[in-house]
Amino acid sequence: MLELYHWEPNIFFLKPLVALAEKGTSYSASYFDPTKFEQFGAQFPANAESALQLEREGPVLVSDDAIITGSFFLLEYIAEALPGPALLPTDPYERYRAHAWGQTIALSLASPVTTLGCARHLAPLLRSRPAQPLRTQIAAIEPLERRAAWMALLEGDEASAVVAAHAQLPGPVGRIEAALESSPWLTGSQYSIADIDAFAMLSPLPELAPSLVSASASPHIMAFLQRMHSRPAVRTALALSRTGRPAEAFVPGPEASRWG
Amino acid sequence: MPAMVTLYHWEPNANSGKPMLALAEKGVEYQSHYLDLLRFDQHQPEYLRINPDGTIPAMVHGDRVLTESTPMMEYIDEAFPGPPLRPSDPRERWRMRWWMRFFDAYFAPSLSMIGWSIFIGPAARQRDPAELQAAIERIPLESRRIAWRKALYNQFSEQELTESRRRVLFATGVLEEHLSRHTYICGDSYSLGDVNGFNLGYALPLSQPDRCNDQKTPHIMEWLRKIYERPATRATWAKGRTQMASRVKILERSGAAQRDSGNA
Repeated sequence: MLELYHWEPNIFFLKPLVALAEKGTSYSASYFDPTKFEQFGAQFPANAESALQLEREGPVLVSDDAIITGSFFLLEYIAEALPGPALLPTDPYERYRAHAWGQTIALSLASPVTTLGCARHLAPLLRSRPAQPLRTQIAAIEPLERRAAWMALLEGDEASAVVAAHAQLPGPVGRIEAALESSPWLTGSQYSIADIDAFAMLSPLPELAPSLVSASASPHIMAFLQRMHSRPAVRTALALSRTGRPAEAFVPGPEASRWG
Repeated sequence: MPAMVTLYHWEPNANSGKPMLALAEKGVEYQSHYLDLLRFDQHQPEYLRINPDGTIPAMVHGDRVLTESTPMMEYIDEAFPGPPLRPSDPRERWRMRWWMRFFDAYFAPSLSMIGWSIFIGPAARQRDPAELQAAIERIPLESRRIAWRKALYNQFSEQELTESRRRVLFATGVLEEHLSRHTYICGDSYSLGDVNGFNLGYALPLSQPDRCNDQKTPHIMEWLRKIYERPATRATWAKGRTQMASRVKILERSGAAQRDSGNA
């Protein structure tokens, strides 16, 4: 029995929705609204590891008694555990590249993308709500790391965070652009979970960082996004939106490296 | 003839130690290229031809170059015969990856921030300032340049160091709790999660004696000692050239004597 807890098909939540559609897997879906803190409710599946949420917020996959978190780890799990079309290359070196892309995207792209998306979409949404009940809700969040990420949206220095995020983007975006220049998919000739991962984190950038991700600045990324949009599994996933505006659905992501 | 393996590495410690220990567990012979991290060998042109990012370790297998240490370990397990180092149950494999990310992205940066501020930064600052400056300017990745500058000139704020100490204490507690219920990271089977964790934590009883010891964290201590007793671990740490790797001796079962001399 497979249960996916997800929100709008955007960023972290989009990934397992695409992968499960690629696999043709049937699963039970539970839609939740993380901006209303439903993921901290008593009914929400949690254990010591899932509560830490190394990515801060994101989808949760429950497989029998296992609670699986971390959006790229969900992709690896779906690719390895479920029947259906292969979503990892067969060659060990290309598989290495898929895992390495997942790590690069998680550690260097996810943070600036979510910082920019939260500043543009989530922070104004939170500020439109009555301040005191919101602060009480956030103050009750455990663990501290996740609480701090939400509190930073209310109290943090948003302008500096946005400047820092823009400075962090060119590295990982440049790497992806270079890789897609020489092959249609990130690990080579075979479509894989690395492409699903990259698609989910790059999709917001034409809006959030148009000087970096556009037809003139990164033509291979733009063509890649088009290729992804033409996949039936991507259309299936995007059609699961309930708000009709999935591109505005952001949650806090991993913190930027504390080393600089 | 099988393709040759060449590993560019520093001490058996942190990222360099991960593929060293994984290769040893698999029984894979490799050509070893030792790079002195503190002399910035990894930013010299001959190494940048192998890995333009100038990070270590790097592994070359035939014509394939691998530069990310954690995915590199998964490759080592997959590409070579020998005992499996990853659980076959996908849920346990997820657990292994979760813990490796917890070690790599949460625990290690805090631990190394403390270590650098106390040991490595002061040692590096003994060098000629102009030479040090030039060495930093040669670092290819801007993010690494910023990190090295911070480390070498001790630009960590007291607030950052306090937060790192809090995280080390918290992460140590999470690990102790996990190991009180499981022999290894993935239950009963030794895996890359343990290889990763050992590289991070083998010196904890020496560097964090108040947080990691037989009274406060008996399960971490037992786990580290058990891993240290493995022949592959012995062989790998024997490749160390500096005081850093010899810290592992704190894990000898008759460790009390070493602990005393280590603190002296």
